Amino acid sequence: MSFVFSKENLLRIETLKKRYPSPKALCLPCLWMAQHQEGYISIDAIDTISEEIGIAPMEIYGVVTFYTMFHLEPQDKLNVQVCKTLSCKLCGSDEILKHLEGKDVKISHVECLGSCGTAPVMQIDDVYYEELNPEKVDEILKSLR
Amino acid sequence: MSEEIDIVIDSKTYHAKEGSLLIDLLIKEKIKVPYFCYHESLGPDGNCRMCMVEIEGQKRPQIACDTFIEPNMEVRSTGKTIEKVRTDILELELINHPVDCPTCDQAGECSLQEYYMDYGLHEAKVSISDKVKHKKHVDLGSNVILDQERCVLCARCTRFTDKITHTHELGIIGRGDDARVSTMPGRKLDNPYAMNVVDLCPVGALTSKDFRFVQRVWFLQTVNSICHGCAKGCNIFIDHNRVKYQDDVIYRFRPRRNDEVNGFFICDEGRLSYKALQENRQETALLQGKEIREEEAIQEAQTLIQKYKDNISVVIDANLYSEEIEAILRFAKKINASVHSPLDVYIEESFKDDMLRSAHRAANYKTIEALHIDTHEPKSSGLLINFNHPQNFNAAAHIDFLTHQRDVPSLVFPIADYTENSGTLTNEDGILQKCEKAISRNLPIPTVIEILLKVKV
Amino acid sequence: MRECKIVSRKFDIPGSHTLEVSKAHGGYRTLAKMDEYSPLEIIEIIRESKLRGKGGGGSPASAKWTLMPQENDKNGKSDKPSFLAVNCDESEPGTFKDRQIISKDPHLLIEGILITCYAIKAKHAYIYIRGEYKQFQDILQFAIDEAYEDGLLDHCDITVHRGAGAYICGEKSALLESMEGKRGHPRLKPKHKEPEWFFDNPILVNNVETIASVPFIIQNGADAYKAYGTEHSPGTLLFAMSGHVNNPGVYEAEYGTSMMAYINHFGGGIRNAKKLKAVIPGGASTDVLTAQEAECATLDYETLRSMKSALGTGGMIVMDEDTCMVTVLKNLLEFYHEESCGQCTPCREGTGWTDKLVGKILDKRGTKEDIEKLLEIADTMNGKTICVFAPAVATVIKSFVSKFRDEFEVAV
Ligand SMILES: Cc1cc2nc3c(=O)[nH]c(=O)nc-3n(C[C@H](O)[C@H](O)[C@H](O)COP(=O)(O)O)c2cc1C
Ligand code: SF4
Ligand code: SF4
Ligand code: SF4
Ligand code: FES
Ligand code: FES
Repeated sequence: MSFVFSKENLLRIETLKKRYPSPKALCLPCLWMAQHQEGYISIDAIDTISEEIGIAPMEIYGVVTFYTMFHLEPQDKLNVQVCKTLSCKLCGSDEILKHLEGKDVKISHVECLGSCGTAPVMQIDDVYYEELNPEKVDEILKSLR
Repeated sequence: MSEEIDIVIDSKTYHAKEGSLLIDLLIKEKIKVPYFCYHESLGPDGNCRMCMVEIEGQKRPQIACDTFIEPNMEVRSTGKTIEKVRTDILELELINHPVDCPTCDQAGECSLQEYYMDYGLHEAKVSISDKVKHKKHVDLGSNVILDQERCVLCARCTRFTDKITHTHELGIIGRGDDARVSTMPGRKLDNPYAMNVVDLCPVGALTSKDFRFVQRVWFLQTVNSICHGCAKGCNIFIDHNRVKYQDDVIYRFRPRRNDEVNGFFICDEGRLSYKALQENRQETALLQGKEIREEEAIQEAQTLIQKYKDNISVVIDANLYSEEIEAILRFAKKINASVHSPLDVYIEESFKDDMLRSAHRAANYKTIEALHIDTHEPKSSGLLINFNHPQNFNAAAHIDFLTHQRDVPSLVFPIADYTENSGTLTNEDGILQKCEKAISRNLPIPTVIEILLKVKV
Repeated sequence: MRECKIVSRKFDIPGSHTLEVSKAHGGYRTLAKMDEYSPLEIIEIIRESKLRGKGGGGSPASAKWTLMPQENDKNGKSDKPSFLAVNCDESEPGTFKDRQIISKDPHLLIEGILITCYAIKAKHAYIYIRGEYKQFQDILQFAIDEAYEDGLLDHCDITVHRGAGAYICGEKSALLESMEGKRGHPRLKPKHKEPEWFFDNPILVNNVETIASVPFIIQNGADAYKAYGTEHSPGTLLFAMSGHVNNPGVYEAEYGTSMMAYINHFGGGIRNAKKLKAVIPGGASTDVLTAQEAECATLDYETLRSMKSALGTGGMIVMDEDTCMVTVLKNLLEFYHEESCGQCTPCREGTGWTDKLVGKILDKRGTKEDIEKLLEIADTMNGKTICVFAPAVATVIKSFVSKFRDEFEVAV
């Protein structure tokens, strides 16, 4: 097994284990840690987590594919997640999506980000960018380069 | 809770345990209710939503697999409302289904096919060009092939590897209508019971590589039998067919439910044992490797028995039927032979597991023990008569009764194997079980008993 | 319109998310009440206040609290600790209120959690937060760390549990499955009233805002809460507004407020001086209202129910006269198609099929039969599934097609 949790993460895992009635509850927390550590979730990481929390690898794999925020492959491009749900759509998400076309980024269409009052919205990594317009998008992308 | 109470289904009264599952009663009483996800061995999951019934006092139809029987319960399993509900759900089930029955192995034993015929959906009412596309041929391992497009996501197969074998190879990945059954990337379905998922799958999504396209199920005849792979004595169906002018052929073994013995399942090794059974059969009598007629062989046997009088040992295979063993005992007494059935040779500890498989790989060793047959090897003797016991023993002369060819330079009688004969076995838990005769050969091979009756001593 | 700031009282104070500011403005004062009242008395006050769940369902909070075992040493439950799960999955389109609480006044939530745990005899609370809310989670976690440091959490732990992108995990049993490390599939509903279960331990699931409303009620009494709102919908809600309004956002108001008054007062009316066409009253899963209906609507459970819609999460999506309702329905169906957990046949297949059908209609490839088929599928999706996701989709489809049928027919 070539995936090993960092010392810091191992410590967090030990602490978290005391906070739940079963180590199985650490499934999502461990997946997050693995994804942060490696940038994606590898099969090796799944095996390591399986040993750590007592859920079979296949079940964890099923979990990973259930949620939209986990990646099974390394992400090489900036992942621009544009909300395409109703409030954003009403407020111009189509224009944002069109504006992004052809740029050197991965464009993901995501569902409502819970930011409808400041539509249109996009998320890059863990950060929300709200009340977008094409110029603002350009500035944001420039600042992230 | 477990009191027997009355419940009314479609105006008829039935008895059932309070708190038991309604669907179990419906299945037991053969009251028609379509279902995919429920299975008695796996319990309810409630995902297919097909097993709808109406329950007096409830606003909406309820699923029978999640309904517990209560006093004064009144159930309707037929009628306009419920049939409409089922038709509608079935129609949704079919949207993304390829409906390629003509090329599907499951045709003839597919629940989906059966139900949509029942509910009159065979005219492709469902026309939507962009069906969700999935993989049509995924080799899961252990002889099992998955067609993701035919899958109805009932989760029976995944629950089998989760709850029954605890090996967790299968799971559902993705979500919504992108959900599908899969193994981990690069890993296989790999456990000694894997092929049971083929029987569990209610549709043709999981098929056996072993059986794929070999035979259409409606041509097959089915006979009740017992697997001879080990002393567990799992109950099986033998599916066989005789094509004109050719020999009767076994196409597969399938598990036959017996709650006392094997429940719903059998192991893969037992399931596939039908193949070796049909290979290298001993079909004619031999003398020193040369074919002879049966009468000549009997003549020869009588001479040998006469010659070695009082110096004869008989060895019995612990897989023979009890009736055969008893006939051999009577015969041995007549010729004053010592009788043995060494059992050590059958023991294979690595075969044993905590599900079904027994370390004793002999179907009827309990009968050998019950009849107090000597389980030691015979002392070297003049004549050794071996009734299909797997070991060879030293002796001046040999007579071998064999189901399958073996390299022995002796007098050989061919005998019928267990699928060509009927009889009784006692399994390792002391349960008496019967096997029916499945195979009738064009040139029948005699049974042990038939031969012994002809030998005059 | 009467000002009523129960949950949002501290929102506008600079630094409101810190313990210092919170305490300076009355934060954690209610904890003293725990010496005054027994757990059962707390539940009684909540019962009297008629506090209703603010996660969308609107079920009385006390009814669920009462299901939690109080007698920890009798009835054989002694070895099973009780837990609280605070639902901060907030993924219902049009809803962005819980986010305001955890980022603007997280200590109010912590205070509410402490009282609730005291009442239901739980020693540990989890906050299940949608994965996308990481930046707000950090603010919340900062507040929790402060509270630990201050000794506020000496007798009751709080752990934040991060989701990973799945709308359905807001449904309480799916949330618990997700916390147990499984796929977020809603569970079959129990036949009799009982608590939810977390690894076989009783657990109470409440929405963030429900819990954040508790301190006010305990501090000021049930009557003070009931002074706001209507008889059956007492108190306030962090209503939200998005879409074609001038000032979208979250504004606390009492139940029973007129919808149009709210939209005009807080939202500054429809954008670009357009006319109103329709309002989705409480998150995408509530039935759409026409402009005429919106004129008569008041923001409470009874009225919206009587209009065959629902108050839901109180997140209104406002649409002006230029909006194409077929496009809107298509957009919503894409959401449901994407978010169905996929266990139940009617939902798994129905969300996909209806999405494709409306797509066809939108592309002008549809027929009259397609509209009928759409309604038929909606029927099949209604009332036959494990959770209410599919039924919600069904009524949404029906409301759009029945109220804006002409637009669908023009499109075919
Ligand atoms: C599909 C679906 C999604 C839901 N999403 C949420 C959610 O994001 N947040 C929430 O608090 N409740 C949500 N709920 C309601 C919860 O199931 C549950 O009723 C609620 O959290 C209970 O809290 P309350 O009584 O305080 O409202 C959802 C329900 C369904 C059926
Ligand atoms: S493969 Fe068969 S058993 Fe497995 S989920 Fe699909 S239909 Fe069910
Ligand atoms: S467990 Fe034994 S009897 Fe059963 S199928 Fe396998 S080999 Fe045959
Ligand atoms: S109704 Fe839909 S979301 Fe709910 S359990 Fe069934 S498939 Fe999942
Ligand atoms: S619709 Fe885009 S954030 Fe809600
Ligand atoms: S058998 Fe009852 S829902 Fe599938």
